[in-house]
Amino acid sequence: MCKIGIPRGMLFYDYYPLWAEFFEELGAKVVVSPKSNKEILNSGVLSCVDECCLPVKVFHGHVDYLKDKVDYIFIPKIISIRKMEYCCPKILGLPDMVKFSIEDLPPIIDTNINLRKNSYTSSKYKKAVYEAGKCVIKNSSKIRNAYKKAEESYQRYLYLLSKGVIPIEAIKMYNKTFVDLNYNSKKHDMSIMVVGHPYNIYDEYLNMNIISKLINKGIKVMTPEMVNKDEIIYYSAQLPKRMFWTYGRRIVGSAFSLIERDEVDGIIYLSSFGCGIDSILIDLIERKAKNKGIPFTLLTLDEQTGEAGIDTRVEAFIDMMKWRDKDDFNISTLR
Amino acid sequence: MENYYLGVDVGSVSTNLVLIDDENNILCKKYLRTQGKPIEILKEGLKELKEEIGDVNILGAGSTGSGRYLADLIIGADIVKNEITSHAISSLNFIPDVQTIIEIGGQDSKIIIIRDGIVVDFAMNTVCAAGTGSFLDRQAYRLGIPIEDFGRMALKSNNPVRIAGRCAVFAESDMIHKQQLGHNQEDIVWGLCQALVRNYLNNVGKGKDIKGPVMFQGGVAANMGIKRAFESQLGLEVFIPEYFDVMGAVGVAMLARNEVKKKKFSNFKGLEIADVDYKVRGIECNGCANACEIVEICGDNKILARYGDKCGKWSNIKNENTKLA
Repeated sequence: MCKIGIPRGMLFYDYYPLWAEFFEELGAKVVVSPKSNKEILNSGVLSCVDECCLPVKVFHGHVDYLKDKVDYIFIPKIISIRKMEYCCPKILGLPDMVKFSIEDLPPIIDTNINLRKNSYTSSKYKKAVYEAGKCVIKNSSKIRNAYKKAEESYQRYLYLLSKGVIPIEAIKMYNKTFVDLNYNSKKHDMSIMVVGHPYNIYDEYLNMNIISKLINKGIKVMTPEMVNKDEIIYYSAQLPKRMFWTYGRRIVGSAFSLIERDEVDGIIYLSSFGCGIDSILIDLIERKAKNKGIPFTLLTLDEQTGEAGIDTRVEAFIDMMKWRDKDDFNISTLR
Repeated sequence: MENYYLGVDVGSVSTNLVLIDDENNILCKKYLRTQGKPIEILKEGLKELKEEIGDVNILGAGSTGSGRYLADLIIGADIVKNEITSHAISSLNFIPDVQTIIEIGGQDSKIIIIRDGIVVDFAMNTVCAAGTGSFLDRQAYRLGIPIEDFGRMALKSNNPVRIAGRCAVFAESDMIHKQQLGHNQEDIVWGLCQALVRNYLNNVGKGKDIKGPVMFQGGVAANMGIKRAFESQLGLEVFIPEYFDVMGAVGVAMLARNEVKKKKFSNFKGLEIADVDYKVRGIECNGCANACEIVEICGDNKILARYGDKCGKWSNIKNENTKLA
């Protein structure tokens, strides 16, 4: 049986259910690299070009882990997934970077996905789907059916996210039956939005488990993936200039939406050191949060593994929020 | 006998201990260099404390600083609090209407914005050490000036040399160039102070609404040159509290007092712990690909704690018979 490797990094947290179901439906075996760990980080840092951001380096590590274990590695070249928008340059160049940085790779399925001028129903996209599937089986009707099934799984995944399930959990359960989820109504003292690129906020190794740390303190965690699509479009359109990065739009739109609708008590931005897109997004969100009197803090991730730095900042942030909460009346005089 | 409360601040550069009473008077303070040996230095501090004050009633203890969890293991703290909150608490006690706290320590620098007695915003330096005490330490070493004379020297200058402060590495090469051009040392030192302050305000203080009264604390506050640089760049008077170097410890001692009064008992193990023999061992676990670095702390051959693992394999075991590796 044909084995397809999917590295657990970059767009994994957005599309895993779609990709995995698609290849499995075609009859391939899907192999996913394990959660990021020290070994993967080290091999990624060694093989990747020096100037890259941490998640790209880790992605290299995941590919390196998979390379001897599978027949193909799936790294689509996702250029654009929405009209007039682009993905981050590192995502555009991901398959090429990997190919030239890591030796002895199995063939890479680097399907071009460019929907800058087309939609999901266009023949161009259908062709891309066929391109991805043909390595497993050269049968267009089977590929079409597999994609349809995969799309259903993907919709179930998106539904879970909209119900407030964190992607790490949702990836485990999208295929199981679920009745009532009500994640949003669980008891909590305060809610914090953890915002940033999915590969920063859901990689538990890189961010030293920040989401579980917050949940264990009785805090409800919100992430951009839980915010309704239409809300994101509506609030990101408030920017004076169009945001042409898909992820930038999602991050800014979701944060603006939660701030404006008063659904969060604080915002923690997780950014990887050296991210160009983040440098703009952080400022946009920080200004908005300040305007509305919502506490904001930035955590920069790089290769550090000592947790003291992150813990101190998170603890101080929560202390500050509680302190402000207690003296609610004083805040209005502030800004 | 008077009642006292102990505050311990284990930082990367200094380990500070203070004893306060019910009226926030400071009975005694210890400022020691951590030198990468937090446990030994902490024990030394406790021993010195014991010798100096003799037998007093210590009702509670608190720990703060980046080594606060370690300190908690050793002394048995009633409260373990992060540095930001501790600093804010103690500053508010000295100047109740303080609006901005600038704290510059060895490895990190912070800004805390307070309005109406509440922390409303704070920031710490990110992955860069350019705006911190170790930057000055390093440059002083480079210039061959003892760090203690640094501030006094800076005050003598009237004509500062501009030095790039964005990055400690670039600053060093910039400084060497200026030296080779023949600038005198006072002007270079004053330029360095300004570079640190400029970098601090652009990095940590970026976008923060800095209003007076401004308080300046942390080890670097001993440096009058930095105080002068802050005052000239902010256009505000900068206050340095009497116990500027142990403010974190004072804050956590105050918090410990509240905590003990609330819960009516204390976990504090007493100053006798200075005589306990602590051993620390570290190994790299090879159970999985994470290769976690495990630390084990023993006191008098009893395992006090193990930590550093991600899975709980080591931190959950408290049994003495299970030896490390």
